[in-house]
Amino acid sequence: MLEVNGINAGYGRIQVLWDMSVNVGEGEFVALVGANGAGKTTLLKTISGVMRPTSGSITFLGKRIEHANPNQIVNMGLSHIPESRRLFTDMSIRENLEMGAYPGRSWKIRRATMKWVFGLFPRLEERAGQLARTLSGGEQQMLAMGRGLMSRPKLVMVDEPSNGLAPLVVTEVFQILKSLHNEGITILLVEQNVRQTLAVADRAYVIENGHLALEGACRMLAASDHVRKAYLGL
Amino acid sequence: MVAVRDIIITGLLLGGVFALVSVGLSLEYGVARVLNVAHGEFIMLGAFLTFWLFSSVNLNPLVSILVSGVFIFVIGWFLHSTLFRRLMDSSPSLEVFEGQSMLASFGLLYVVQNIARLIWGSQTHQVLFLSRTVTGAQIPLNRLVSLGVVIVIGGAFYFFLARTRMGKAIRASAQDPTTAGLMGVNIHTVLAICFGLGLAMAGIAGTLISTVYAIQTNMGLQYTVIAMIVVVLGGLGSISGAMIGGVILGIVSQLVTYFQPTMTFIAYYAIFIVLLLVRPKGIMGK
Ligand SMILES: Nc1ncnc2c1ncn2[C@@H]1O[C@H](COP(=O)(O)OP(=O)(O)OP(=O)(O)O)[C@@H](O)[C@H]1O
Ligand SMILES: [Mg+2]
Repeated sequence: MLEVNGINAGYGRIQVLWDMSVNVGEGEFVALVGANGAGKTTLLKTISGVMRPTSGSITFLGKRIEHANPNQIVNMGLSHIPESRRLFTDMSIRENLEMGAYPGRSWKIRRATMKWVFGLFPRLEERAGQLARTLSGGEQQMLAMGRGLMSRPKLVMVDEPSNGLAPLVVTEVFQILKSLHNEGITILLVEQNVRQTLAVADRAYVIENGHLALEGACRMLAASDHVRKAYLGL
Repeated sequence: MVAVRDIIITGLLLGGVFALVSVGLSLEYGVARVLNVAHGEFIMLGAFLTFWLFSSVNLNPLVSILVSGVFIFVIGWFLHSTLFRRLMDSSPSLEVFEGQSMLASFGLLYVVQNIARLIWGSQTHQVLFLSRTVTGAQIPLNRLVSLGVVIVIGGAFYFFLARTRMGKAIRASAQDPTTAGLMGVNIHTVLAICFGLGLAMAGIAGTLISTVYAIQTNMGLQYTVIAMIVVVLGGLGSISGAMIGGVILGIVSQLVTYFQPTMTFIAYYAIFIVLLLVRPKGIMGK
């Protein structure tokens, strides 16, 4: 479904990603893990069109997207739920969700989609008229995820949804990701919470200093010495 | 009592016009990030279009509102899609773009003003429209009509921002253009529309001004200065702040003009400084 092939990317003269290749098959739940500054967010930004790679190719549903703009990419069914939520804080919860349904096709069915999202995140419905900035951290993350689902994506990329949340809320976030996956949505998840990530995802890539270090089924990675030492503290 | 009523009505009118001009600049600067020094030139252009259509084919200035609104919107949309978009794509950062776009708008100021001077010269003109007074009052009808128009346009624009898909996309893009792009908003289109709308508001304000005051091809700059004061007063990027700030400045300006006309601009700066000391981020700033 998504093929990232030999991507090099960076900020100005500073190269961050080196010859990065990542594949996500239809219906898969794939994770990207790695330390702070490894380049995970940069990779997601390059896929969603916020940044341009200096070389390499990205294919989504058989079409090349490495030169497409973010709005074209989300129109194709690839949604990027950005790091640290990036809500429209001066808009209400309902309006934030409506913005998520901005692409023409999803705008027409936004009311039905909103019902589905409220089903996933009941607390958002109770607070629908409130400004996004009045929500708690956990609720804000739910809103960011709900907003990213409003375009009815085929593939969602979620960047560190558990960041800064209490353990109970983190568990809730992982459960929601699992149920989305069960509904048939393909997921590419970036997480620092390696233990829980390896427990829910099918496959994972380990990124170190902008290079691909390891990849494989989560069960295998969780058993590997390198991952156990470096990421699971065992 | 009559004096007080006159001050209030004229102050509200002027406030409404200032609000329109300032909301326009707020769209250009707060959303599209172009500190448009030529903003006032499009007020002048709106005023002279109205004058020209009025004196040549006797077109009702109320109809001219549509003409200058649409015509100047197209100019703004075109300017952004060509000049400013290209500058934006070639700038390494937003700060560099802000600097370059301001320089470009300085160029625009001279171009528009000199073309206007070639066509209309530098003498004063006037559109004599509804200048009779309403029976039993000292208020000329044109001021009441202009006040009505400002209120209708303000209301319509508020509805547009609050309720429509494009209006919401504009508000989202004002807060966080990158994330708005991730939602599917074509940021270049939205910015071009904002810039066009900003200029259109200046043009419409120009039409209204031409029915009330004498006009000159060098009239623009004073309004640019006022709009900049109001935009900072209201809080950079805050459209509602620009609206409120405009009305306040208009009323104060009428009060001061009534007692001491030479002090008007000094009063603007005084309010500006005091408010910045009390609320450094502006009325609606956060
Ligand atoms: N806007 C930027 N300008 C310049 N350098 C940047 C920028 N954003 C990130 N970087 C650099 O790129 C590298 C990778 O950053 P990135 O945000 O992709 O890491 P990450 O894996 O997502 O880290 P984290 O887990 O902390 O979110 C870092 O060295 C960072 O300093
Ligand atoms: Mg990151």
